[in-house]
Amino acid sequence: MAAALSGTASYFGPWTHNRVWAQGAKPIKLGLTCDASGQYGNSGQDDLLGMRMAIDEFNARGGVLGRKIEWITADTETNPATATRVAERFIAQEQCAFLLGAVHSGVANAITQVAAKTGTIYMNTNSSAPSEAGENCSRVKFVWDGNGTNFSKAAVKNAVERIGKKWLLLTNDYVWGHTTSASTKALVEAAGGQIVDNLLVPQNTRDFTSYLLKVQQIRPDVVATAIGGDDIKALRQQITDLRLEERTAWINNQQDWPDIWGAPDSLFGVFGTTWYHKLALPGVEDFVRRWKAAFPRSPIPVPGNVSYNGYMATRELLRAVERAGSTNNAKVIRALEGHKMSAADRMQHFDAYIDPVTHQVQQTIYLAKRNTKPSDPTDLYEILSQTQPQNALDDAAPGKCKLMPFEQLPSYEM
Amino acid sequence: MILNLMPHLVNGLTLGLLFALIALGFMLILGLMEQINLAHGSLFALGAYFAYAIATPRLPIPPDMLQAWAAVPLGWRYLAAVVLAPILVAPFGALIERLMRRTYGKDPLYGLLLTFGIAMVLEDLIRTVWGTRDYTLPVPRDLSGGFFFLDLIWSRYRFWAAAFAVAAIAAVWLIVERTRFGAMVKAGAHDTEIVQALGIDIGRLRTGVFIFGTMLAALAGVIMAPIWGIRPHMGVDAVVPAFLVIVLGGVGSFWGAVLAGLLVGMVVGLSGAYASEWSLLSMYLLLIAVVTFRARGLFGKKSALEA
Repeated sequence: MAAALSGTASYFGPWTHNRVWAQGAKPIKLGLTCDASGQYGNSGQDDLLGMRMAIDEFNARGGVLGRKIEWITADTETNPATATRVAERFIAQEQCAFLLGAVHSGVANAITQVAAKTGTIYMNTNSSAPSEAGENCSRVKFVWDGNGTNFSKAAVKNAVERIGKKWLLLTNDYVWGHTTSASTKALVEAAGGQIVDNLLVPQNTRDFTSYLLKVQQIRPDVVATAIGGDDIKALRQQITDLRLEERTAWINNQQDWPDIWGAPDSLFGVFGTTWYHKLALPGVEDFVRRWKAAFPRSPIPVPGNVSYNGYMATRELLRAVERAGSTNNAKVIRALEGHKMSAADRMQHFDAYIDPVTHQVQQTIYLAKRNTKPSDPTDLYEILSQTQPQNALDDAAPGKCKLMPFEQLPSYEM
Repeated sequence: MILNLMPHLVNGLTLGLLFALIALGFMLILGLMEQINLAHGSLFALGAYFAYAIATPRLPIPPDMLQAWAAVPLGWRYLAAVVLAPILVAPFGALIERLMRRTYGKDPLYGLLLTFGIAMVLEDLIRTVWGTRDYTLPVPRDLSGGFFFLDLIWSRYRFWAAAFAVAAIAAVWLIVERTRFGAMVKAGAHDTEIVQALGIDIGRLRTGVFIFGTMLAALAGVIMAPIWGIRPHMGVDAVVPAFLVIVLGGVGSFWGAVLAGLLVGMVVGLSGAYASEWSLLSMYLLLIAVVTFRARGLFGKKSALEA
């Protein structure tokens, strides 16, 4: 009976379309280097959802160049050493044509080093140390998130003028924290402010009491944090428990959506982001609807900036392969360098472009604060401002970034 | 200067008591069975997760009962979590002890590898049941928020946790030093064969100690959850300082563990304030400094191999 039913079903549906891929064409394989554990485990998995959605959409339309897109992922554990092993395996054993992923800048830098040896194109989806498109830039790497300097430029000058000149920095003790705080310091001083102290917070710190006691003793006008992932969650919780958010102005350089989902009560101060699922822009609602349909069991019910960056990086990479008409790395890199993306296409307020000198995506930078009148439980942000890409540019990056000449780029075509 | 230093000393003391609380169960198991239970951190995490399930109305019970439970004041739900979570985690300890029996008397490496594997299984179990996202254990209004002291705001919960740690340490001391169970545990740690010859069932004693140690780990998890947050790998955050405190204090020494916990808390607290980049590393530097001059730890017993 069951066999008969299934036989009938194959004629009358429902059925899924099995696309006919180009005869004998080898699939294009993507290596998704996403954290599933460690400080950025949640963000890494949210990033993965965005990438998967873009891949599924391309495959539903027939893949790229008539070839199916396949993907593989492994936990990079928020650990540069693990990321190195994963990237080497993806390139050497799994024959991945391209790599995508990373939230932690140390992880992104480790993947870059491995990718550069073979010329493998790598989309750094979500790590945002200014050094990623500065001294650690690479011809093979493209950086999709706004970086620490972009966010500082959008926030600092205004805050020095309106809140106060006495600033304290709380800095996660690794490359993103250091480079972001250095950029904040330069901008604060340029605006006439003063850095009274910079407290370095080791990664995986769980108890912030000693830092908060120092904040209370120093009594700065503004505390600028460059703390990420699980660490910022713990810090936020402890600050709100003590009601310290009411006594000092807090600016968090960048707030990743997975770091605040589930703990909205600890959302305070002003923070930066590149995207929000309730931006009143064309296409946003449709994107959110597609994402929710694709991942109905996601622990986070709506896409945030991390998933958005994963989606955009993957989509633009695959589009670049189509424009290049080949997976040849040099051709794809050329198709990406200087590429312009319309505001409507990226669901942002202003047009964006991939800087050909640094490979950073220059895009709209948003400043936000907690929404006091949410329309639903996911409506956590109130967008305060949107800064044009040219006004948030990291001016120092082009001087620090030296891209490998194309002649020296190891060539491949998968 | 002293006025500036005082808050950090008080903070270090509080932190130290909590480190000692985390280490106590670990020490008891190590003391009697000479087994390093690397799953201690996972039991700590399970305690926090069970407490979360109890304190927030998410229990897998009929909707009517769930509504009735949600209507119970948070204070009572939190109290229920403190009492029930360690009891619910206890069977996991009994199971681990059952699995460990084959390793007794053998190379300690077997027990180490087994408990390491169990820790990974438990962490994956947590991910399967609760997912990878973080949770916050809600605490009653009277225990949350801050109060003014030395012109600074202090966390009310942290002081309550420290007071609780003092009470728990005192209770463990009373059980170990003033009860028949404690006497058997100490005797068992000293000479297993004689204890057996006296008619004490060493197997049951070991199970009892393991369950007691497990419940202490779970209790520490419940108390630390509002401070550290609840996440799948929080067990690692607990087992590392627990191991360090035991080695620093001297294996098997109750007061060694308490003193080492306080020392680690002080060092972490003070370095966080005055040399922040060293704050996590400071506990390891302290351990190196102590074991360089006193390999058996502060209160550790002299080994027969030592001259």
